[in-house]
Amino acid sequence: MTYEAAQLTFETLTPWLVWFIPMLGAILTPLIAKAGDKARNYFAVAVSLLSALLAASMLPAALGGNVIHHQVEWIPALKITAGVLADPIAVLMANIVAWISFLIMVYSIGYMKDETSLTRYWFFMNFFIGNMQLIVLSDNFLQLFFGWEGVGLCSYGLIGFWNRDEEKHWVGTPGHTVWGVPQAYSPTHAGMKAFITTRIGDISFLIGLLILYSVAGTFDFIHLAENKQWASSLAAMGLLIPVGVLIFGGAIGKSAQFPLHEWLPDAMAGPTAVSALIHAATMVKAGVFLMARAGPIFYSAGSGLGVTGFFEAIAWIGAFTAFLAATQAMVAKEVKKVLAYSTVSQIGYMMLGMGVAGLVADFATGYVAGFFHLTSHAIFKAAMFMGAGALIHATETKYMNEMGGLRKSMRITYISMLLAAAGLAGVPLFSGFWSKDAILGATLSVNTPSAVPLTILASATVFITAFYSFRMIGMIFHGEPSHHLEKLEEHGHHIHEAPRVMWLPYAILAVATVAIGLTGPFFEGALHSIAGSSLEKVFELHVEEEGFKLNFVALGISIAGLGVGAFPAYRYYIARTADPSSLVSGGFLAALYRFLENRWYINALYYKVFVYPSVTIGRGLFKVFETGVIDRLSGAAASSSIAVSSVGNWIDVNIIDWFANGTAAAGTVMSRTARRIQSGVTEQYVFIFVIGIIIVILAVLALGSEMN
Amino acid sequence: MTNLLQAVFLPIVLSPLIYYIGRRSGKAAGWLSFAVMVYSTLMLLIVTLPGATYIEQYSWNPIGIFGLKADGLSIPFALTIYLLCTALTIYSIPYMSHRIEEQTEHLSSEAREQTFKSKLGLYYMLYLLYASGMLGTVLATNLIQFYIFFELMLIPSFILIAEFGYGDRGRISFMYFLWTHVGALILLAGILTIGLTTGQFNIEAIRESSMPEGIRVWVAAAVTIGLAVKLAAFGLHIWLPYAHAEAPTPISALLSPAMIGIGGYALIRILIFILPSSYHTIALAVAIWGLITMIYGGLMAFAQDDIKRLLAYSSVSQMGYIIFGIASAASMGVSGAVFHFVTHGTGKAILFMTAGTIILQAHGIRSISKMGGLGSKLPLTTTAAMIGFLAIMGVPPTNGFQSEWMIFSGSLATATKIGAPIYYAIAVTALASTALTAGYALWTVKRIFFGSLPEELKDVKEASPTVTIPLLFLATVTLILGILPSYVTDWIIPLVSSILPG
Repeated sequence: MTYEAAQLTFETLTPWLVWFIPMLGAILTPLIAKAGDKARNYFAVAVSLLSALLAASMLPAALGGNVIHHQVEWIPALKITAGVLADPIAVLMANIVAWISFLIMVYSIGYMKDETSLTRYWFFMNFFIGNMQLIVLSDNFLQLFFGWEGVGLCSYGLIGFWNRDEEKHWVGTPGHTVWGVPQAYSPTHAGMKAFITTRIGDISFLIGLLILYSVAGTFDFIHLAENKQWASSLAAMGLLIPVGVLIFGGAIGKSAQFPLHEWLPDAMAGPTAVSALIHAATMVKAGVFLMARAGPIFYSAGSGLGVTGFFEAIAWIGAFTAFLAATQAMVAKEVKKVLAYSTVSQIGYMMLGMGVAGLVADFATGYVAGFFHLTSHAIFKAAMFMGAGALIHATETKYMNEMGGLRKSMRITYISMLLAAAGLAGVPLFSGFWSKDAILGATLSVNTPSAVPLTILASATVFITAFYSFRMIGMIFHGEPSHHLEKLEEHGHHIHEAPRVMWLPYAILAVATVAIGLTGPFFEGALHSIAGSSLEKVFELHVEEEGFKLNFVALGISIAGLGVGAFPAYRYYIARTADPSSLVSGGFLAALYRFLENRWYINALYYKVFVYPSVTIGRGLFKVFETGVIDRLSGAAASSSIAVSSVGNWIDVNIIDWFANGTAAAGTVMSRTARRIQSGVTEQYVFIFVIGIIIVILAVLALGSEMN
Repeated sequence: MTNLLQAVFLPIVLSPLIYYIGRRSGKAAGWLSFAVMVYSTLMLLIVTLPGATYIEQYSWNPIGIFGLKADGLSIPFALTIYLLCTALTIYSIPYMSHRIEEQTEHLSSEAREQTFKSKLGLYYMLYLLYASGMLGTVLATNLIQFYIFFELMLIPSFILIAEFGYGDRGRISFMYFLWTHVGALILLAGILTIGLTTGQFNIEAIRESSMPEGIRVWVAAAVTIGLAVKLAAFGLHIWLPYAHAEAPTPISALLSPAMIGIGGYALIRILIFILPSSYHTIALAVAIWGLITMIYGGLMAFAQDDIKRLLAYSSVSQMGYIIFGIASAASMGVSGAVFHFVTHGTGKAILFMTAGTIILQAHGIRSISKMGGLGSKLPLTTTAAMIGFLAIMGVPPTNGFQSEWMIFSGSLATATKIGAPIYYAIAVTALASTALTAGYALWTVKRIFFGSLPEELKDVKEASPTVTIPLLFLATVTLILGILPSYVTDWIIPLVSSILPG
């Protein structure tokens, strides 16, 4: 189906406004701030609400399968256009982003109440939302890349929000080192780490994109999907799969997948509202969404060209990351770190879904499963992060072992976190249950040899997820209050529920987790038709008419995994009938614990191999080569070039003399100037020199005459 | 019409007057120079508005035609140069007063007053000459004329460093002069050979085919090496960190982005337009040279503690990007290189001005290890500096992204067309090395603006509007060109794609 450039109407303007309004709001924030802090705070929240309402206004058309596409000129010399593509899946995504972001903005009013520099905070938050919507609604890769880097920039600004790097804002355990590499990071270090790590992914993305562009001559999604010639050209060069994987590299960075996942746990140094925004609604989901765009393009253009290798790569990276990060969540001490590892792990599931899409009979199966999990995860993870923020405020600690027994004093938070954790763990009739089941089911039907190992990794992660979810709930809310809390109580600090402006947002999302869980099959059916119409209309893929289908093998795996994982968590952390510390006091489990706690040593390895050497090499080269060789050569060259220069002066004088006498005088003046430069009479010489030049010019102009 | 003639020569002709006014009444010279620059920039803008090539020609026997030409290639350069010169004239007013006061502190109060004024006059006189020299170079239509302007921008900048610089300025200015002058002579050898063998100095009329085949590559090599000195390509770069670090900061902000990049302009004008077949012969070697310069400059930047030296090495690295783009043998890459001159012009000027602001406001401090936490003290400067760093990192929505993706796209276009692994290898390595830029840029931001504030810097305040307005103006230009690149691409791409593929 071809798209004519649509007229600018309210309908085609809306997708532009959805991303532009938060950006404009961000830019206006410093001006509004002059009217007072309250006005500024409410303005920022109102901007995100307006964007969300506009996003919602696109829903009816999208549910009806409509595609809105509008383009304007951008770089005419290259025939590059800018545009918005609001197809059903993008509109759905835009709404998830907008509404969850809005709730986080409301929550921020309470959470950030006592902070200073909030103008900067609100600026970056709205700019973040705007850039995310730009990613979602762009109709081409180049424009998407603007949003893509925009969210990277905002995450940098927000993770490093407390840029004075006070000790209390550091992330990680102070003093913990691995191979001499410190494992505790200041906020600005964490922000920089996030930016540079994701930037490495972005470079990969850009390489893939530019090769694609130089072959296809366009960045436009629809052109790429319609005109499939580029895929066979790339395949003929042996570059089809490399280009796909390079583009996927961008998603690996942004979505914190292995091997670029190490930035995300340390990104917890930012305010918790920021963590919620990054993890639930924006940044890390951008990678999944990129695959939701690039996947179908490659699938349809590359069919018959061996493009499955590309999807194998996505599926493997996803499944492995899901497992890798989940294992680390089991031993994390900080509540936000558990959630961070969990995010990395759950996004692995989504990537697995996007990957298996290309490996099963019907592309929509994996695609819908991945997107379903994205939706359910966005909701329950936002709830959990905001709940964690409330806990950190109330208990003045980020360590779970310094909490404990909070289920009575913070009942609303307890219930919300419990419901959200049930969604995360995949308890039947909660949202995560259905979406994880869909991914497992799709993985089981993969028609390549990868089916079995991918299923094993995904199933193992089910059980680990159940364990760490309930471990977290148990450590925080069950058992007796910790010494830390008792001490707080002694000092007259009573633990109490968070204010309503904070708990209402996460309570709403916890309820949504249940609501999606109760309507799971219908929800999945609706998602299937939304994604299906996008795939058919934009990417020209055939989608089977198919509603909800329960895969009983997958069901068995997830329920068994849940039981196996939840039971020890219940025993050790909720009922507390056994002491978990005895487990890791020695032997294999102790070594394993250390291995997991040290992040599989990957973080330390990166610092040793990449971070430190670039500074060391720079300094070493500077000392040895730059000052030792080049600088010294320059000294030698300088003395010899004095000789050359006198020859040069001769040429200068004679050549220039050839057509004008004045400059010769200037040449002499100049060489004397060099000698007399400190003597205070420079000015006169320079003055004469200038007059000399002017005489030359006037002579030239007098000799010549205007020719046109 | 004499618009371009006025734009180039008005600053020269008025410069003695400015000197005189400076001697008489000090600071007024600065504002008057600003007026001159604004007028000249307007003259330039007017001819570029219709969007077509514009040329002024005067007969200039026996050398040929003395012409001033604003075409797709020269306009981005010319406008960037004059825009920077204009913005930096205002910036110079507080900065140079401060600098000259520093230099005249030891004098008795009467002598101080008079020396202050005459030095100020001297500064603006040279400043205007320097500006004209740069503009004349990029507008010249005749190789001899080009060379004269090329020297005319060298001499005033040399005296500016010698007279107003920091540190061992006498020696450093001489080193700067020698290096770039030797480069200019090698270039001159190339130019003269072109002119004498083709019997023609007018760029339009020169045909490579009328040169003896055996010498073409040698001429191309001479031109490239001569200009590589100006571009501070690896191996020929050693003068740059000294000169740019020790020049008075407004001059650093002109030297670094505007002047050395003119080497890139000349490389395109002479190598690609006049010697196209030799260009294709040496392109790969030059691209590798550019790549090495990119990486080496970046690594050196990591090792610096002096903020101006860091920026100077960053310029070396950025010139590597320009050389790399020029040598891509694809129209996208060359256009990207031209765009990158604009990017680096605004970006690096912002960063040098930031360094100058810190020097002005924080008691002359230049060592990064003594800075920290300045973000909250200098919010406007920090914002501008962040935008400048993002531009050199190539992050949207700054113009740096637009220029860099075009450079790399050109390089990859050549790679996909030729298919040899070496082309892929250099393109991928070049893209990968942008991580190095991100690394030193963000690390520098962190060390200057974040973290705890040292006790000595507690009283630092934002500078006066004559400093912050030029900064914010350039930051705005950086963003506008990043979002709406067609202001540059509409000029350069049609011209370059008429002679190069891809």
